[in-house]
Amino acid sequence: MKRNLTQALESWIAAGFRSIGQITITPQSNGGYELRHAEDLGREDLHLHTSADDARGLSFFDDANVYRPLKTAPTLRHGWRLLAGTAGELRAALDHFYPSMTALWLSYLEGKLPPVPLRETLGRQTGMYAATKRLLDDEGQELVGKACAASACTKRMLWPFSENQPLTQLPAEDLSCEPRVMADGSHQIPLLCHEACNILVAACREVVKKRERAQSPQPSAASPASH
Amino acid sequence: MLHKPESALIIVGHGSTVNPDSSAPTFDHAEAILRQGSFGEVHCAFWKEEPSLRQVLHMVDREDVYIVPNFISEGYFTRTVIPRELELTGPLTHRDGRLLKYCEPVGNHERMCELLLKRAAEVAPGVPTKDCSLLIVGHGTNLNDNSAFAAKREVDRIRDTGLYGEVFNTYMEEAPLVNEWDSYTTCPNVVVVPFFIADGLHSYQDIPVLLGIEQDTGLAASQRDIFRQNPYHLRGRTLYYASAIGTEPLFGELILDQAALFDRQHSNATLSA
Repeated sequence: MKRNLTQALESWIAAGFRSIGQITITPQSNGGYELRHAEDLGREDLHLHTSADDARGLSFFDDANVYRPLKTAPTLRHGWRLLAGTAGELRAALDHFYPSMTALWLSYLEGKLPPVPLRETLGRQTGMYAATKRLLDDEGQELVGKACAASACTKRMLWPFSENQPLTQLPAEDLSCEPRVMADGSHQIPLLCHEACNILVAACREVVKKRERAQSPQPSAASPASH
Repeated sequence: MLHKPESALIIVGHGSTVNPDSSAPTFDHAEAILRQGSFGEVHCAFWKEEPSLRQVLHMVDREDVYIVPNFISEGYFTRTVIPRELELTGPLTHRDGRLLKYCEPVGNHERMCELLLKRAAEVAPGVPTKDCSLLIVGHGTNLNDNSAFAAKREVDRIRDTGLYGEVFNTYMEEAPLVNEWDSYTTCPNVVVVPFFIADGLHSYQDIPVLLGIEQDTGLAASQRDIFRQNPYHLRGRTLYYASAIGTEPLFGELILDQAALFDRQHSNATLSA
């Protein structure tokens, strides 16, 4: 076992990383860690959780109990704090709150996170998502500018639109891998996106289908049934 | 019991962007397997949720990795999507110092029949099975590829046991249709088990409406109480409705069995091979 994400996580905390996404991580005197929503700092009325598995339920719904299919959407629910007794439990809890995000940061630091251009991701789609190969550059850039904006997803997009075309509709800070320095001087583990997610691929399909429906008054042939 | 502290297990599910019920059993089975210590690491990965198939391998510390699709049948996902997204080259893939072992989907397991019988017995306790029609509900279009074939195979197996008065496959979108259940069943008691991996929209909402035990209230799937109101008395019969077979806790054992089966079928699979 050459790689050890748990040890890496411990070393990041020791080096002053205290947050990831909307979560603040506070080392405890007993060697454990407390997690809570960064906007809940100072609150005394939080519901206490002591199992990393509880992070699954906390991550699935926002404050209005609406399902969150995208865990990096800036809609993490408030009102809880979770005590992780060990770095392993911290890792497990973060894998629910922000699936794979600590792992991708480690891969990035190891130089093992090559970004995949959106065109390449769309190019390998089959079944109902094969339609995304017909996405136009302009409509694709516009979609990414909305769907991947910080108001929708807090990841930093590492991938270009194509090998020769960068993303043009997102601000530079949404494309940077650099850890953010917080007001208290601590660092934030960045949420990295090395390849477009299925939610964006599905949105690309919708854009293509909508345009093609508008262009063709005839009912289009049924899509392949695979999804 | 399988004991592989130096290996990792990835359980692959479909997931959903509209409700959390689709991935819930996959997460449940993963937690149970991790607790019992069969693998050094256990991770989930999904097509429509996170972590995705493109992310999950980054989460794995170990070099020996078993991948078990938590799917009800072989088909488009197990043969096309999962291998493509994980960049698998076959049952065995050597990549970046790792050995990726692609196992058969859970639904292929020969004990599936046993689990269906267990679930049917649990949902209708004390009901004589000889006076019972057992319906195994599948999707029934080519949407899920071989799921209809798999459901038929299980019904044949159940029929061969002779335990139930009668056993039928039934489908949401092709004959014999779920909503016509009272026309082809003859027993006074009817037990319905959805042959699905999770309690998603189909088993919570679509099938109950088709059976006639629920109005389409539009409530979110997780907020409904379909399985706690058994039995239902309608159309002159007594009907018992079970949750999807994939929520059965014994599914975790089947996942482990698929990894063990891989070892038996590929006894020479080592990192140095």
